[in-house]
Amino acid sequence: MAEFSWDIRSPLDRTLVTGPYGARGEAGLSLTEIRNFDLVQAMARRGKAAEMAAAAKARFGVAAPETPKAVGNADATLIWSGPDQFFVLSKGGRHGIEALASVFAGSASLSDQSHARALISVSGQRVRAMLAKLSSIDLHPDVFAVGSAAATSMDHTSVTLWRGGDRGGQAVFNLLVFSTFAESLWHTILDSAAEYGVTIGHSEELA
Amino acid sequence: MVGGAQTHRLADGGLIDRSVPLSFRFDGKTLLGFQGDTLASALVANGVKLVGRSFKYHRPRGILTAGSEEPNALVELRSGARREPNTKATTAELYDGLEAASQNRWPSLRHDFLSVNQLFAPIFVAGFYYKTFMWPAKFWEAVYEPAIRRAAGLGRAAGIADPDHYDKAWAHCDVLIAGSGPAGLAAALAAGRSGARVILCEEDFVPGGRLLADGGTIDGLPAAEWIARTLAELGSMPDVRIMTRTTLFGVYDGGTYGAIERVNDHLPVPPEHQVRQRLWRIVAKRSIVAAGAIERPIVFAGNDTPGVMMASAMRSYVGRYAATPAKRVALFTNNEDGWRTVQTAIGAGLQVAAVIDARPDVSPAHRTLASKNGFPVLNGSVAGVDGGKDGVRKIAVSLTGGARAEVDADGLAVSGGWNPSVGLTSYHRGRPKWRDDIAAFVPDGAPPGMVAVGAANGAFGLGACLRQGFEAGAAAASDCGRGGTAGSAPVADDEAFSLTPLWHVAGKGKAFVDQQHDVTASDVELAQREGFESVEHLKRYTTLGMATDQGKTSNIAGLAIMAAVTGKSIPETGTTIYRPPYVPVAIGAFAGHHRDETFHATRLTPSHHWAAEQGAVFVDTGLWKRAQWYPRAGEKDWLESVTREVKAVRGGVGFCDVSTLGKIDVHGPDAGVFLDRVYINSFSNLAVGKARYGLMLREDGIVYDDGTTSRLAEHHYFLTTTTAKAGLVMQHLEFCRQVLFPELDVQLTSVSDQWAQFSIAGPKTRELLREIVDPSEDLSNEGFPFMGAREVALRGGIKARLFRISFSGEMAFEISVPARYGEALVRNLMIAGKSLGVTPYGTEALGVMRVEKGHVAGPELNGTTTAADLGLGKMMSTKKDFIGRVMAGREALVAPDRQVVVGVKPTDKARRLRSGAHVIPKGEIPGPGNDQGYVTSVCFSPTLDQWIGLGLVERGRERIGEIVRAHDPLRGEAYDVELCNPVFYDPEGGRQRG
Amino acid sequence: MRIVCPFCGERELGEFTYLGDAKPRRPAADAGEEAVYDYVYLRDNIAGPMSEHWYHGGGCRAWLKVTRNTLTHEISAVVPAAGAGAAKVDA
Repeated sequence: MAEFSWDIRSPLDRTLVTGPYGARGEAGLSLTEIRNFDLVQAMARRGKAAEMAAAAKARFGVAAPETPKAVGNADATLIWSGPDQFFVLSKGGRHGIEALASVFAGSASLSDQSHARALISVSGQRVRAMLAKLSSIDLHPDVFAVGSAAATSMDHTSVTLWRGGDRGGQAVFNLLVFSTFAESLWHTILDSAAEYGVTIGHSEELA
Repeated sequence: MVGGAQTHRLADGGLIDRSVPLSFRFDGKTLLGFQGDTLASALVANGVKLVGRSFKYHRPRGILTAGSEEPNALVELRSGARREPNTKATTAELYDGLEAASQNRWPSLRHDFLSVNQLFAPIFVAGFYYKTFMWPAKFWEAVYEPAIRRAAGLGRAAGIADPDHYDKAWAHCDVLIAGSGPAGLAAALAAGRSGARVILCEEDFVPGGRLLADGGTIDGLPAAEWIARTLAELGSMPDVRIMTRTTLFGVYDGGTYGAIERVNDHLPVPPEHQVRQRLWRIVAKRSIVAAGAIERPIVFAGNDTPGVMMASAMRSYVGRYAATPAKRVALFTNNEDGWRTVQTAIGAGLQVAAVIDARPDVSPAHRTLASKNGFPVLNGSVAGVDGGKDGVRKIAVSLTGGARAEVDADGLAVSGGWNPSVGLTSYHRGRPKWRDDIAAFVPDGAPPGMVAVGAANGAFGLGACLRQGFEAGAAAASDCGRGGTAGSAPVADDEAFSLTPLWHVAGKGKAFVDQQHDVTASDVELAQREGFESVEHLKRYTTLGMATDQGKTSNIAGLAIMAAVTGKSIPETGTTIYRPPYVPVAIGAFAGHHRDETFHATRLTPSHHWAAEQGAVFVDTGLWKRAQWYPRAGEKDWLESVTREVKAVRGGVGFCDVSTLGKIDVHGPDAGVFLDRVYINSFSNLAVGKARYGLMLREDGIVYDDGTTSRLAEHHYFLTTTTAKAGLVMQHLEFCRQVLFPELDVQLTSVSDQWAQFSIAGPKTRELLREIVDPSEDLSNEGFPFMGAREVALRGGIKARLFRISFSGEMAFEISVPARYGEALVRNLMIAGKSLGVTPYGTEALGVMRVEKGHVAGPELNGTTTAADLGLGKMMSTKKDFIGRVMAGREALVAPDRQVVVGVKPTDKARRLRSGAHVIPKGEIPGPGNDQGYVTSVCFSPTLDQWIGLGLVERGRERIGEIVRAHDPLRGEAYDVELCNPVFYDPEGGRQRG
Repeated sequence: MRIVCPFCGERELGEFTYLGDAKPRRPAADAGEEAVYDYVYLRDNIAGPMSEHWYHGGGCRAWLKVTRNTLTHEISAVVPAAGAGAAKVDA
């Protein structure tokens, strides 16, 4: 019997090259792929939105977002993904689909999306200038504050976008993009970002 | 320092930087200009008057204006792949090394062969092409059009791909302002101080608008100082953005605007990683159009002679660029504003030859100025110009009362008054209204949220511009809920305004209305005589206003002349409809990033990179790249590779990435009922752990999509769609869930990207799976029967889903693993199947095997077929309602003579069958009356060793065994084919069930 | 054009897909061919405010009922479909 190894490959594994990209000098942006996360989509059963919210509150200590927001505790982020539905983003299986099945039994239907998305975190001085090329949403700090989220499209591709906590005084935007579109969108992002200079990396840590 | 040969550059003054001389070439000749010049101003400074040849008559033309309304001074800018035709010299910023060439001349600008066209001018009248090149019809494409295209037209496109990049971006603001003249800057000040988010677009590379050329005093400061102070204040506001080199070109619904930013047009080549131009979509709650006005010409004979220039343009060249278009200037005006050019000329030390003023009542102040500076003021109008390619020599004047006079001058400034720029305010089909006091059209309302101020609104005084702009800026900010204090408005005096309308001076010789399209006053009159009176007809018959300048200097004059000959008033005559874009916008800017390989987004399957390593040939399937076949060394063509792959599957085992299928989780207690309503067959009675083939109809009874759906748990189904319809089926199911059946407790989630899914097929499938699936899993026919579906453990610890479904007719499973394991799975399949000769196969082999097995796919699910047409009529449940049930029962959809799926094979086994061939009864003449259907899908079947196919043929299933004609007029072929059972391979189905 | 999604806020047209007239109601299973024919094929062609189905597929995937003036593109109301999100029990 042959031995099989089950190497995991993120959707950007083949295309992401760490290091500087684009214009030289101080990078205006950093682009980081976050790898190997757990992502579960919870969608309330008919008439059970309140029960789902209560179950989320009991599990995570925060209410599930009812408007386009991202909320979280130390080890999970709940991101609004549509009416009466949200994503649970976490690491290490603590809040993976198997762990959550009993939590939402009767109140929400769950679908594992851990492998269906790539997660890209963008930050830096020019982050809004770059995202303005991809997103039709107004990302002005007064409009899209920390914790704001959006189910939207970039380059005709569905994206879940939310603003994480600032890092080093700079805004951080997170993008969940469909895995099979990830390479294509990645190149579009690089194209948009090149003029500002980019530092590219990947990480296993959720921001 | 006056640089090199800049014979027409003033010793000082202007907004040019004399410390930065720039070398450029025009028609191969090296010239010098300065930073801050446009190409036109640098040409003026070098004494260049002749800049191009006209569109139709090849007449010599010079520079008419100093802005984006320019009809004449169009050049080919740059060279090679970056050559850009019809670029306005008047807006092209000068840079070191700029190369420009004049257009529409051969062999040279000064000696143009086709200027003989002028001799034939009498026949090149409006409608000439329509009237002349009518017969014979086939000559149009072969002879007339190519000849006309060589003779007429403007610049030449580069003909090769544009090497530069373009992109697109969104911007959002409270208040969007078009134009940075006094009105625009005042609006920005008021809105910005109130706390509004402001974007101000200015097409010029320097803010200031007419202030840059005309100066003036604002708040007691010289205009230049006021501009600097204002820009500094605006610059200190973080939410005010001033975008120079940016033209607002369009107004769209819901407060969306289009703007084009010429990011790097002012450099020879964009810096590395930067774009040439950027298309902006700006979303604004309010907008203020402070786009100014365009000075209009007066139409007279010889008005296109190089050296005849708009009066305001002459002020721009002299005042802003310190370049003198002439040494001895005459002015022809019908209004007060024109006289400012005289003052500018005197201030610059130029000689004034005469002022020809059409108004009888010239002010005493002007008369004093004239006598002090020794030039006559002639009451009358210009009747003709004596000159040519070297410019103006003499001007013939017809004086009021009938006498004639002659003026010696080398330049003629013309002012016919001002037309407010009503484009932006009219793009929602608004029609501007006529104002008698300024004899011009002004905006009459505007798209929602928009207001026009200043000259764009017919307010020509500096004080009024500032006042209107400031008030509109404050009001717009307040409308957006911004409550800051706007402070006080900038103050300036209003100049006197007086104008006597004058559009056209009758005279001998060609008098041009539209200089870019060579439309003359007599063309307009001819159009009227021939019945093309409506302005929309006038435009199309004469092509007036249809050139790249869109008639900015000609439309109003044209309709004024039409009004005169029809005896109607100008407002009765009306304007044509205004449509964006305001200036030409490069297609490249609209495309942005979306060109070549990034024309659209691309989807890659989880095994893509592995397949690429194997040398797979990929095919575009919608957005997907799919492995089409995997060529091996020595294979001579695709058919050989595909045949090998099919044989390997039928004789052993192979696998194919089918991750492109749409995959949808259907959850909830009512999931089964929901599926019963969207599929023609039942799913509520499907056992957990089983899969079933399902067919969906549209509500009109036609087949929509198909796929297998598995029940993974009591309240969880896993539905698959075709690759092509994945997104549409999701949308359709959401419609059913949210709109049609909101009473059902069902939840839908796309999981297409979650799973890497492979079809493993062939008699050795089970052997391969036993290598990779945990030994505890029972894969026997009893333990995992046909149409079984369940989760299994794989060796090494991960879970997979197995579905025992077959598209090939072979013993087959589909296996799916979470997508990040997809590549590991193919590699492991290759390892596990090495001794079995496992063969990856592509979409071609997949297609061959489905045709051999008679499975329908896209060419049969083509939007015209019913379930019964596909041979699947028995699947339609009679025990429940479902989408499309009632309409599927309509008479025509159940008619016995419908075209239905049947197998087709040539009687000559060596013959290649082609899809698209029509089916005609044997012995009948091919034609619509005898057309009984067509061949939908074909393949070379390695199993049958001949070409076979599926077709949609009238009563096909009743005619098995009949020989018919396949008629293929496209390829000029006709041959006999036999109608046969569509299931060519293993019709009993023992192989897939065994 | 921009549509104010009741869930997401104002979004650009590109995120939405147009379906058409939202007035026809799908007939009951026993309504007969005439009624279904009307439902499938008969549409008012209104010059003025019209109720239409739009799908926010590039966003939250909600089906919306949009009242749009076909002459001006002015949108006067947007409401979610009865079953958007987790349908309310009384839907």
